[in-house]
Amino acid sequence: MIEVINFTKRYGEFTAVDDLSFSIGEGEIFGFIGPNGAGKSTTIRFLATLLRPTSGEGRIAGHSVTEDPMAVRRVIGFMPDDFGVYDGMKVWEFLDFFAVAYEIPKAMRRRIIGEVLELLDLTHKRDDYVNGLSKGMKQRLCLAKTLVHDPPVLILDEPASGLDPRARLEMKALLNELRRMGKTILVSSHILSELADFCTSIGVIERGRLLAAGSIRDIQRKIRAHRVLKVELTSGETDRAATILRDDPAIDSVEAYGRSVTAEFHGDDEDMGRLLGRLMAAGVPVQSFAEEPLSLEEVFMMITKGIVN
Amino acid sequence: MWMRENPVLNRELLTTLRSPRSFVLQFVYVAALGALVYFYWPAGVDDGSRMVGPGVAKRLYDIFFLGQFCLVALLAPTFAAGSITGEKERKTYEMLLVSPLRPHTILIGKLLSSLSYLVILILSSLPLMILCYLLGGLLLSEIARSYIVLVLAAGTFGLLSVACSSGFGRTSSALVVSYLVVLPLAAICVALTRADDPSTRDFASVAILPPVCLMIWTVVGIVVNNRLLRPSDVGGQGGGVVDEEEEMKYAIGVVIDRDAFPDRLFAPAKRNDLMPDGTNPVLDKELRSEIFSQGTLMLRVVIQVSMLLSIPLMAGLLFLRSDLAAYYVAYVLTFNLLVGPVFSAGSITQERERQTLALLLTTLLTPGRIVLAKLTAAMRVSTVLTFLLTEQILLAYIMLPELRGRPWTLIVFLLIIAATCLTTSSVGLMCSALSRRTSTAMVLSYLTLLILFVLPLGVRWYLQGVSEEYDLSPGRLALITVTSPYAAATSVPMHAYRPGDAWGGDRTDFVTPPPAAFPGGWSVPVWLVFLVACPVLAAAFTGVAWIAFLWRWWKAGDGA
Repeated sequence: MIEVINFTKRYGEFTAVDDLSFSIGEGEIFGFIGPNGAGKSTTIRFLATLLRPTSGEGRIAGHSVTEDPMAVRRVIGFMPDDFGVYDGMKVWEFLDFFAVAYEIPKAMRRRIIGEVLELLDLTHKRDDYVNGLSKGMKQRLCLAKTLVHDPPVLILDEPASGLDPRARLEMKALLNELRRMGKTILVSSHILSELADFCTSIGVIERGRLLAAGSIRDIQRKIRAHRVLKVELTSGETDRAATILRDDPAIDSVEAYGRSVTAEFHGDDEDMGRLLGRLMAAGVPVQSFAEEPLSLEEVFMMITKGIVN
Repeated sequence: MWMRENPVLNRELLTTLRSPRSFVLQFVYVAALGALVYFYWPAGVDDGSRMVGPGVAKRLYDIFFLGQFCLVALLAPTFAAGSITGEKERKTYEMLLVSPLRPHTILIGKLLSSLSYLVILILSSLPLMILCYLLGGLLLSEIARSYIVLVLAAGTFGLLSVACSSGFGRTSSALVVSYLVVLPLAAICVALTRADDPSTRDFASVAILPPVCLMIWTVVGIVVNNRLLRPSDVGGQGGGVVDEEEEMKYAIGVVIDRDAFPDRLFAPAKRNDLMPDGTNPVLDKELRSEIFSQGTLMLRVVIQVSMLLSIPLMAGLLFLRSDLAAYYVAYVLTFNLLVGPVFSAGSITQERERQTLALLLTTLLTPGRIVLAKLTAAMRVSTVLTFLLTEQILLAYIMLPELRGRPWTLIVFLLIIAATCLTTSSVGLMCSALSRRTSTAMVLSYLTLLILFVLPLGVRWYLQGVSEEYDLSPGRLALITVTSPYAAATSVPMHAYRPGDAWGGDRTDFVTPPPAAFPGGWSVPVWLVFLVACPVLAAAFTGVAWIAFLWRWWKAGDGA
């Protein structure tokens, strides 16, 4: 649905984005991760048809970002990281303004405005002036604006920045709802916990270069020399479980604490199944057996080797 | 503390004076004044036809004094009207207010920093003025008096502009109200200090002007100080919402009613329902929502002050001396010169400053449609406001037989005013597309308009002094002024003045100013050339605005 091919953007001597390529499939939620100044917003603005590339190409739903920006605008909903609102306009007027700007006929506008207000829980603010809304409400209103023409692709630059914890959670719930509606979403953030819950794939960018892209699980596998297995037992037979695990050639080291055993493991998914079978066959009372996931923060720090900021 | 350790003053001086532009501008200014003196300098004439005498020195002195006085009246508001609104627009106002700086320290810092560059410019002309003194015919006291008047005027105009800046939320509003306050004062000041009788001049300059200025400084200083101490225009969310109905309840004087004529011409009522299909949403937004987004105060002040000023001018220039009707038109043109850029110079920069441009540019609206909507909205508001002042001209043409007999002159006057409205709006739009900030766009717009409208008159006046030596016929001189609506208005043939003949009746004695003489022997009235050239110029300015808008958006990538 979204394709970035060798995108480079230079400002004089400074290279903001260097030969960036990635693609996002239909219905995916792609988290664009990177520290401040990494090139996230530059890439996003390029995809939103606001920035001409030094070289490279971008395609959204088959339309070229540089050759056919109008076609791209029809299929994207763009929410910038920092945006303002028009003074002297009410919430419904603001949405009507953008609905007209997206050439939606009047007959459909009333229904659409009502629907997006309801989706974003702004119905009670319909007649309020937009410049009097709180930051969280303005973020929601901007998201409502990006949805008025029902675009299949959403490009959201730091949608939760500057929000309080409650508004942040509400924004997360909204994005999950949009995901259920089948939208393809490119969302950027430097707050990693925001993205971990609902992104199907991520791209890590730093100093204008893409360091890794793919599903979080794939990236974990690529960057980790060892996977970590965690076995929880219903009773305290940790010694027996530890002995069985130590004997397996796919296990490098084992540590036991209380009712749980943690093991460093260099095998594949089949080896994991075999190990679980051995434990069960030996009568070890396994309550849970799973690979301990890396948090997105850990993935990020490992990929960027801690040289960010 | 007030001056040497004033952080506001130090910061502003650092940013202003360390830029290479300041030095370049000063160099250009002194070089231009130097050129004026050089071409008038009698030593350069071999045949001795131009004598060293009081005429030359007096003309140069007039150019220096009047030119610099105009510069002070026009630039003092430009520098000072954005001093506090700039802090509000950059969202640094509250940080400044909560600092330990006392309000008067902030005020003095803002005032001195705004005016320091202007005063440096004025003083840099002093050596050239002394050079003119060597020609004879001038008294040193005359020169000293002029510089005292200039510095007093700079201080007063600057302080009034800072006061306007503290009263409004946007630089554009503060600037136009500053001009409306400053320019009438400047006219009075020039009339007093340039009276023919030397003793009246000296008395006005030395005995009247300083105490009046001191009084203005004290009163305005106290008002601004109190406003900075207890600001009413800061606050969190919701603070920016203006309740029009509530505001109108407490409005003094003019009340704007969106449903009534003629107010609905420039501010149509807000919609109760969705926009009809095919509406240009940008145009609709500009006219129905944005026009009063900062309140109606600015527009009410503009309408009231312009109407008040028009009453004595109407009496003097239309009814007592109807042969001077063109000068009343010149007042209407000046009003448009001031107001036109206010509604257009911020049209694109404000989208950028408010960070709404990215939202707008990712819709299906084309840049051409956006630019056209901005021009139409700005032109509609400024044209309606300007034409409110033409009621008096219509009245004069209905009541006075000597005017009624020549209705075509009325049509020409109205066309000149309409063409000027088109030009001022298109220049403002172009400058808005070329600039990053509204304040820069405003200054650039006024500068462009002064070059188009006023500079040709100054050049003609200057060249009249050397017209014989350089063989410049009145027609050639008139050709220089074809971009000026003032020249166009005064080129319309009017009846000759006969003392004691205020209500002239049918007249046959008309004064026809020299037409513009084109190379090849063509002679065309200045007003006709102006009316043909203006739409072409306006189209060119709008074209530049469109290209600049596209260029900034794509090429630089900073359009949002």
